[in-house]
Amino acid sequence: MSNEKKEQELIVSRQTLSIPQRFSTGPVMGRFLQELRDNKRIMANKCPKCGRHQLPPREVCALCNVEVTEWDELPPVGTVRDYDIIFYASPDPLSGETREVPYVECWVDLDGTQGDAPFWHLLNVDDISKVKRGLRVRVKFAEERHGTTEDIEGFEIIEGAES
Amino acid sequence: MKRKNRNVAIIGSGMSRFSSHREEVNQPEMIHEAVVEALEDANLTLDDIDCVLHGNMELFEMVHQPDMWHVLGDGGWGKSGVRLTTGGTTGATLACAADNLVASGLHDVILAIGFEKLQEGHTTGGITNMADPLWGRSLQTGALTGLGAQKVIDEFGEERARIAAMKYRTIMDEHAMKNIKAHRRLRLERQYIKETADNSPPLAGELRMIHMCSQSDGACAVIFASEEKVKAFKANPAWVVDHETVHREETMIFGSQKSTQRAAAEKLFARAGIKNPRKEIDLFEMYDPSAWWGVDWLRDFLLLEGDEALKMIENDEITIEGAFPVNPSGGVVASNPIGATALVRVAEAAMQIRGTAGNHQVPKTVRRAMASGFGGTLWTVLMLLSKEKPE
Repeated sequence: MSNEKKEQELIVSRQTLSIPQRFSTGPVMGRFLQELRDNKRIMANKCPKCGRHQLPPREVCALCNVEVTEWDELPPVGTVRDYDIIFYASPDPLSGETREVPYVECWVDLDGTQGDAPFWHLLNVDDISKVKRGLRVRVKFAEERHGTTEDIEGFEIIEGAES
Repeated sequence: MKRKNRNVAIIGSGMSRFSSHREEVNQPEMIHEAVVEALEDANLTLDDIDCVLHGNMELFEMVHQPDMWHVLGDGGWGKSGVRLTTGGTTGATLACAADNLVASGLHDVILAIGFEKLQEGHTTGGITNMADPLWGRSLQTGALTGLGAQKVIDEFGEERARIAAMKYRTIMDEHAMKNIKAHRRLRLERQYIKETADNSPPLAGELRMIHMCSQSDGACAVIFASEEKVKAFKANPAWVVDHETVHREETMIFGSQKSTQRAAAEKLFARAGIKNPRKEIDLFEMYDPSAWWGVDWLRDFLLLEGDEALKMIENDEITIEGAFPVNPSGGVVASNPIGATALVRVAEAAMQIRGTAGNHQVPKTVRRAMASGFGGTLWTVLMLLSKEKPE
């Protein structure tokens, strides 16, 4: 029949983008990453007006709109404020590889933090049922460091130190 | 203080069908579906349009200047044009910009278009790239987080919180079943709430697949016109009263600042003289990326305290027939073509005022409706529409 429409194959164009990127860190994040890489030190900066820490540090305090020039070293030890157990295997955008699950992200108030500046990283545990708020944790630095988020492997639980 | 030079109204809207796979059409063709429907709804032709606003989130499809390619589908050649891309809020920002451009007198009739073809990229991969490139891309998991769920559970206890989230999800599905454009129409049943949640794969913490929004392909087009043009076209208007956008300064740090939802609502209601939003506003199209956030944000958007928002869900107040319908369209948990999603909220709120929502039209008269947008990271856009022309 002439009015019968023939089924058409619709071609899907498959493409994979792989883009090497280079981001300038600037002097503030640059210092933070340098201290992390060279000295295994966690440096927060501190607003001269409201006194809050920023971690990772930022050039200005957006709430006070002033330049932040003071620095404090914070200890690599703190308390878990919040955590998230991830079951969905998403791709790591830095490597393209699918992440192994489950893994735990956490937000940690490092000891001595002023204001609202929880430090965000992974919480490496062998058993996710151990994870809870209030856990005392310490930063585990990577053996090889390059001035990136991965200079820290994650937090690990300090056994026997409940808060 | 008078905020606008002249009144602005929505006089037409259109949407493509939303689906996980629209492989039978390319991007311009998909947008064309929404544009044709919007022009027919407004009873206009392309000649009546003097500016095309275009937006999406380019991290998903990785297409540079899609607005150029899409001229084939939206008829924008030779017209003024602006491209906007503000992440998840893109659609709401398009509506705000259309309001601003018409109110200022710069343009008379604007066609605003939001689209996404999530099937053509990788949604969670794209969103993860929104994290600060200097810290956290290797930590973030797109928009997937259990923190919203944990907050509700901490406050109201596991059982009540879980039931409320699934009740909310089920009501959204009941609404989506009435909306022929909706993507996920699952026919969820209230009696199986617990089993449905238990059988759904966990994504992050207490957030399960069933709670989370879909990944959709789709486009939305909305036509905004000046008061003079509304008269000249003898149009059926939904007037834009006002809009508000609230940002946060950080990228992905969950501190204890006031939520952008509550901050936006406070500002918008103060200007509009709204004291009791639940009574003075008739309907809300909320950008609800998950059922848990829907439960949590309802309280903030309506400036409620304690468990008032939970009770609205428990008492069926938010259903299509309820006293305060939320997302008669099925919301974002049913359909989420991200760059279109927040514009769909505005379009749906306008449809309810204009009485053109068809199967999912609410039975009560809608005099004032509100639409929200949400995006990276934790931004809120809130828009207020009315049946009566603002003074």
